[in-house]
Amino acid sequence: MKVFATYNIKGGVGKTSTAVNLAYLAAREGRRTLLWDLDPQAAATYLFRVRPRVRGGGHALVTRRRPIEAALKATDFENLDLLPADFSYRNMDLELDDTKKRTRRLGQLLDGVADDYDVVFLDCPPSISLVSENVLHASDTLLVPLIPATLSLRTLDQLVRFVADSKGSRPEVVAFFSMADRRKRLHRDVIDAISRDGTRVADTVIPALSIIEQMVERRAPVPAFAPTSRAAQCYEQLWAEVRPR
Amino acid sequence: MISATRALQRADGGEFDLTAIVGALSARFAVVTGSMQLVRRKRLDTFDRRLHAAGFTLEHQIVEPGERLVLGRLDGSSTVAVPVKGLRWPATADVLPLGPVREAIAPVTGVRALMVALDEQRRMRRLELCNEDGKTVARVELDEPASPAAEPAQLMVRRLRGYDEQARRADRLLLGLGLRAVENGADRRPSSAPKTSSVDRAVPARVLLTTALSDFLVTMRENLPGLLDDVDTEFLHDFRVAVRRTRTTLKLGRPALPEVMRSRWEPAFKRLGDLTTPLRDLDVYELDLPTMATWLVTADPADLEPLATHLRSRRTAARHALVRFLRSARFRRLVTEWDLELAGLVDSPEGADRERLSAGQLADRSVSRAYRRVARGGFVIRADSPAQDLHELRKRCKELRYALEVFAPVLAKGPRGRAVADLKDLQDVLGRFQDCEVQRRAMRGFAEEMMTEGTKAGAVLAMGELIGHLDAEQDHARRQFDSAFARFARPSSLRLMHRLGGRR
Repeated sequence: MKVFATYNIKGGVGKTSTAVNLAYLAAREGRRTLLWDLDPQAAATYLFRVRPRVRGGGHALVTRRRPIEAALKATDFENLDLLPADFSYRNMDLELDDTKKRTRRLGQLLDGVADDYDVVFLDCPPSISLVSENVLHASDTLLVPLIPATLSLRTLDQLVRFVADSKGSRPEVVAFFSMADRRKRLHRDVIDAISRDGTRVADTVIPALSIIEQMVERRAPVPAFAPTSRAAQCYEQLWAEVRPR
Repeated sequence: MISATRALQRADGGEFDLTAIVGALSARFAVVTGSMQLVRRKRLDTFDRRLHAAGFTLEHQIVEPGERLVLGRLDGSSTVAVPVKGLRWPATADVLPLGPVREAIAPVTGVRALMVALDEQRRMRRLELCNEDGKTVARVELDEPASPAAEPAQLMVRRLRGYDEQARRADRLLLGLGLRAVENGADRRPSSAPKTSSVDRAVPARVLLTTALSDFLVTMRENLPGLLDDVDTEFLHDFRVAVRRTRTTLKLGRPALPEVMRSRWEPAFKRLGDLTTPLRDLDVYELDLPTMATWLVTADPADLEPLATHLRSRRTAARHALVRFLRSARFRRLVTEWDLELAGLVDSPEGADRERLSAGQLADRSVSRAYRRVARGGFVIRADSPAQDLHELRKRCKELRYALEVFAPVLAKGPRGRAVADLKDLQDVLGRFQDCEVQRRAMRGFAEEMMTEGTKAGAVLAMGELIGHLDAEQDHARRQFDSAFARFARPSSLRLMHRLGGRR
């Protein structure tokens, strides 16, 4: 089982769009895929038309009072399941803090479904917290969407240091530009200037396109409702760069 | 993901009334009716139905403009679909794309090829059952034949993970239309294993022997097309096993069978068996080559590539020779006349038996004799006994094993099972010993042939390493022999065999 997490300290950078579209593409290839919407805002859950409710809330999951399998929901797409968000996830830091091995609990929970899935996506809330530490330990690849702006690069540096400072196994960090507008000189400059020496930066750039915003209206991944669109092609390219061989 | 499926049918197996179905389901769901699709559905399994036995279903579905493989469980508990392109059957699981389908299937199929067990055109239509959020909470698939000879129409209620209650509701609504649940039917699994349903010990031995011999002939015939088409190596293996069982049964049945069996048919089946040996040996070398590559210490696995090429070319020649014989009028005559001989045996009056033995009497006598031969052969093995003596003992063990199998219908099930288990350990050790002996000699022979063909030294050196490994393995098997035989010949085993051999 390969675990990807879409993560950034900043919000509104395209984490959910990336998680939803790449999870859909993984499932379309025949990989048994799970998307765990860890963000209490429940955007991914909304996109899949699933109700943002987990019986017993985050507390029941984290304390294992309810098995993770009981909370899983099939999406409308073959091979793709969702572990929905719940508003109680806003307290997940507190719940995790009360457990043994508090930085590894999410990984332990995922181990319970390792036989059922080939690929897992974690759609993370924007923060640096105990949840984030859990995500680092649970994931193999951290996908970091970046809006092409100077502050974004600074955020990436912070995030890379955060990963480097974490104990135990560390995920590979793969950054990529998201919501890029080639008409803006600043965006072009930042994309061209980013150093590819240290952190892996994907070649694919996800442009700012209105069709990606339409996901909320259509409540579906872009490649499902606009399979030949440029946005769908970009996500396919990104998936081709990062998917397990 | 789909967590369970329930199949429903009309009581008369006829086609469905779409309007009635949608009408019934609309009472609880918003129903989105998909368009009808023509699907070519190839149901896949190995010749011996390994997928079915393991509880899997595998379909290659061709729906314009794409193709997909759909893996499911017989109980409908899960389904995985994978897009594929240009797959041709028969083929081994190696051709499947990497991923969950291949991971699930490959360990089950092993060396056996996937073949098309059923190929039919179906008319498929999917109904999405949605809740008030527009979320699909269950699916109904109408699966109807596109040709009259195909399987009857079925309707599947696919339960989606986390929405079990909604599928149950859909089920109830459909049952209200008079549809009935379809049970998964049993599937016949072709196998070279003799049938073991019990038979009265008093029946004439000739009847039991004829039944067994007829079953072996069926196995030979069933495996012949796959052998000729080179679908996978197990067709030849099963064919050979049926031939070997025929030979042993003829030998064991001598007291109860007409003289012609000994004078004509025993040599005929020996010749047939011998003709299949070169190809089977080469099959085994080719199948073992990846394992052999892991034995190399100093040489590189790539050094074995010339050996692989040599084996392929030898195999092609051996296959041509065997296929030529199996397609010949001589072989056809052999099979036809053997069939007639068996039919004559069934029809011949009871008094025609050389000895009026019952199946139970012959079983007791055969098992007892075969056991004594194994025991005598094993007790005289010494540390310096030549490999040939162990080979002879192995053949006697096979005879005993076949006796236990052929006469299984008249032997007590429990003791027979325990006797086979005891014997298996000894056979395993002797098998490994003999395989190493044969492979070592074969490797030497291949190396000489390859050197005359100008093979590079690297390949020959790598083969030298293999011979060294086989030597060590053979030594290991030889060291295990004494304890394996002691286990086989222990007093409790002896008592067991005596019980099976009719002594009390």
